[in-house]
Amino acid sequence: MLKPKGFTSRVIHTPFAKDDVNRALHQPIYSNAAFDFESAENMELAFQGRLPVHAYSRITNPTVENFELRIKQMTDALNVTALSSGMAAISNVIFLLASSGTNIVVSNHLFGNTYVFFNSTIRDFGIEARFCDLTDSEAVRKNIDGKTVAVFAESITNPQLEVVDLALLAGIAHEKSVPFIVDSTLTPPNVFRAKDFGVDIDVISSTKCISGGATSVGGLIVDYGNFDWSKSAKLAPLAKRFGPFAFNYKLRREIFRNLGACLSPFAAYLQSLGLETLQLRFEKAVENCRELAPFLKTLPQVKSVHYPGLKDSKYYEISKKQFGNYPGAMLTFDFTSKEECFAFVNKLELIKRATNVYDNKTLVIHPASTIYCDFSPADRESMHVYDTTLRLSLGIEYAEDLKDDILQALEGLGHGA
Amino acid sequence: MGIFQVNGKNQEIETPVSLVEVMKINNVTQPEMVSIQVNGEFVSRDDFGTVQINQGDEVDFLYFMGGGSRC
Repeated sequence: MLKPKGFTSRVIHTPFAKDDVNRALHQPIYSNAAFDFESAENMELAFQGRLPVHAYSRITNPTVENFELRIKQMTDALNVTALSSGMAAISNVIFLLASSGTNIVVSNHLFGNTYVFFNSTIRDFGIEARFCDLTDSEAVRKNIDGKTVAVFAESITNPQLEVVDLALLAGIAHEKSVPFIVDSTLTPPNVFRAKDFGVDIDVISSTKCISGGATSVGGLIVDYGNFDWSKSAKLAPLAKRFGPFAFNYKLRREIFRNLGACLSPFAAYLQSLGLETLQLRFEKAVENCRELAPFLKTLPQVKSVHYPGLKDSKYYEISKKQFGNYPGAMLTFDFTSKEECFAFVNKLELIKRATNVYDNKTLVIHPASTIYCDFSPADRESMHVYDTTLRLSLGIEYAEDLKDDILQALEGLGHGA
Repeated sequence: MGIFQVNGKNQEIETPVSLVEVMKINNVTQPEMVSIQVNGEFVSRDDFGTVQINQGDEVDFLYFMGGGSRC
């Protein structure tokens, strides 16, 4: 059978795990909780993992499985697990790898909830987050010790838009026998082949562009099967029995099923549909971002614009190396004060005031007063989250309409607004 | 004839027999979706063709169907 090469072709033509009895072209929504068994013997085998059938939808479900298969097809991963949110993906991975007394090396340039998870939630379980500058390879090396269970990075940090050298970090982590985890939400699999940069575990908020433009909340754990889990103290016994499947065994057999953050079949259906147009939508959103970034730079009221796709960005080269012509569809820009930011945001008519990214609609937010509102000014400063900064996540609208909205919102700004 | 176990059940075939043959007999049609252990030890996919199953061995097929394991 002809094997399609194109990203979208591969997604659309991912075979179902089993033929549909009605030859449906979309995997139907199986919203049921439980599945019938032919016999008690088969039920026993299924519970042991020795029979490939579904038992209970918190553990596996045909509609969710189809979504996972499509992600697997497009990433060439060994295993994919779909969860109820991106934060569920991160917390499942960390609870799987870490235990009391261990540590994780991570930057403090992180999405707000991820930062709090590392800085507070896991600390209560005796797990240390070692915050360091991931652009400083020596600092990373120095922070990794015998108790380090992972190095964690975002492919593009949110909202700082920092881009670290992922292959370099992967090399350092592997040199120290530690797995490298990346949150690649801002650079979806159609533009960033995480596996090729040495990423071992990819965590993704599929809520964003994968879902079809924020149609539903979901998350993904993508296990590329590259890491030798015999080097992990916690997983070594499983690696002896399951080799590269050790991580997935622990996840599916224990962590994922016991934390219970499964993706609903309805959300899986929407996100599976979203995948079919991911490439088309993301290309348009990036094109808009590439157009809006230089446009914002020409406006006298705007003090600075940050986007890895701008040639004067210090992350331009590394971004180009890692993400090609798709350096994300999000930018930040600065006014001179929080008041100016608010005045501008309040005057927008088309661009929505919302806390999400990669919707089909362009969204704006003032990160310091919202996502980071629980942090002290000093903490925000150390995380490079400023009162003067707005974040703009580009949608797929006609770029000229977005420019018109920005121009009308700027009227009077900088002149006592 | 030799007796060995597959997923906890006895099978009686002429031994030694190749792992690939045991997979065929047990309808393992998608080897990329299954993790195989012989006597509790993981067998790498690269070794499927060379591993021999002998009298008294215990073979386990654990399915990693779809996006992950069903177990």
